[in-house]
Amino acid sequence: MEKRFMKGCEAIAEAAVRGGCRFFAGYPITPQNEIPEYLSWRLPEVGGAFVQGESEVASINMVYGASASGKRAMTSSSGPGISLKAEGISYLASAQLPAVIVNVSRGGPGLGSIQPAQSDYLQATKALGHGGFRAMVFAPATLQEAVDVMYDAWEYAERDRGPVLVLMDGCLGAIMEEVTLPPMKEVNFNNTKDWCLARVDGREESHMITPILPEPALEMLNKFKGMTYKGWEMNDVKVEEYLIDDAEYVVVAYGIAARVAKEAVNTLRAEGIKIGMIRPITLYPFPKMSLDGLDYDKVKGIIDIEMTIPTQMRDDIELQVKGRCPVYEYGRSGGMLLDDEGVLSAIKEFIKEGE
Amino acid sequence: MKKSFVFSGSGGQGIMSAGIMLAHTAIDMSKHSTFLPEYGPEQRGGSAKCTVIISDDEIISPLTKKCDTLVAMNEQAYAKFAESVKEGGLLVLNSSRVKSGLDRTDVRVLAVPVDDVALELGSVKVANTVIIGALIGSTGIVSKEVFIKSLEDKFKTKKPEVLELNLKALEKGIAYGESHKK
Repeated sequence: MEKRFMKGCEAIAEAAVRGGCRFFAGYPITPQNEIPEYLSWRLPEVGGAFVQGESEVASINMVYGASASGKRAMTSSSGPGISLKAEGISYLASAQLPAVIVNVSRGGPGLGSIQPAQSDYLQATKALGHGGFRAMVFAPATLQEAVDVMYDAWEYAERDRGPVLVLMDGCLGAIMEEVTLPPMKEVNFNNTKDWCLARVDGREESHMITPILPEPALEMLNKFKGMTYKGWEMNDVKVEEYLIDDAEYVVVAYGIAARVAKEAVNTLRAEGIKIGMIRPITLYPFPKMSLDGLDYDKVKGIIDIEMTIPTQMRDDIELQVKGRCPVYEYGRSGGMLLDDEGVLSAIKEFIKEGE
Repeated sequence: MKKSFVFSGSGGQGIMSAGIMLAHTAIDMSKHSTFLPEYGPEQRGGSAKCTVIISDDEIISPLTKKCDTLVAMNEQAYAKFAESVKEGGLLVLNSSRVKSGLDRTDVRVLAVPVDDVALELGSVKVANTVIIGALIGSTGIVSKEVFIKSLEDKFKTKKPEVLELNLKALEKGIAYGESHKK
């Protein structure tokens, strides 16, 4: 295991390479440019290919092609670029091709700002593209977690044949922290995998990828995918539950917001307030059980903290709280960052309101 | 122990590399550290700011509203961030550029004519090394010896004069910092 003091974007790029990524195509956008910059020299070192596409649309379709050839392929962007890739991501889902997409998100909507924000939760979890498909969405809070998530992202993408999204924000993309890098994975690259576009000796039929399915077949595919998503909810939820056993107030936050919130939870605990935190690591599948299973005889309020206004995770939270206690929200947005004092005083206000 | 440092100034003043060098040195001393840069879309000029947190324990939040130490390398940075220093904190000013009077009496002020010192040594490029020297001299946040090792590492591919110049800049900065401590 190798320790390094690395910048967020570079750390996940290295983790991708070690996780088997051998193809990247993307188009520049702040604050994720260090990912393509890093991979532009790193991928050729390991026999991979790096392409700076002429556009986001071209890039996601190159990922589609590379994945169909059996390579572990990825692209990265920030909010506006992910919107442009939406069509290609939906096509990847339809073709059941594994791929990893990284969104280092920034202020929105529209061009927004180049400063960090968590404004893409709804896009990530509800509709990465048209047509009603879902992707697993991982939202790391530290660089070590980002490295670990990235390293294993293709395992999920290939197991369930579809796109996987890693949702970071500009803070995590730019921050430098110490990380422990995992060893290089031995990945067998060939075109004999089930999803590859090839005629292979020993296989009964050649695999054909087509965007045109007869209606009954398309419905079958959607039914099958629906079962896959149910399976994620049963087996693949990742969540950190922090000091919730005796909690009267529970903060729900992910990514960078969760780090600021955890500091506030610790401060309030030191003051004798019974407060805890639920931190979704997978945003989809959402950790429903963690919220549904709280003891609402004890819990007086749920506090949703996100670096976006209005908060976006709130709907998912309320679906589990089912009116059993009030849900409060606090955020900053447009590239204005959350900070320790702001989060602490917001939580204190909510508690005063709840008492 | 957990301390936060904000370096602020304009692009080209070595703000980011000062922050990275400090954080790196802390890591080399087996402390925990985070470095978080903030800058606009400009390639040159524009405002530059970074936050470095150094702690004995794992760092939970890298975002902090108030800092223990602010380094202000120019007038604009001073005007924008002087208020963000905690009570009893330290404000390090580049007095070659920051000319306005200080209206806070609840913080310690260390004025270092950073540009003049650096130019006298031969290059304004070593301004950020002067600043780190001043921080080492006044706060002892990282050890001088470990910082010298990271300087040696950083400049190993450059001509030896570059390292030499930086070592001189470090000594000058430390002298300013130590005089403040007394």
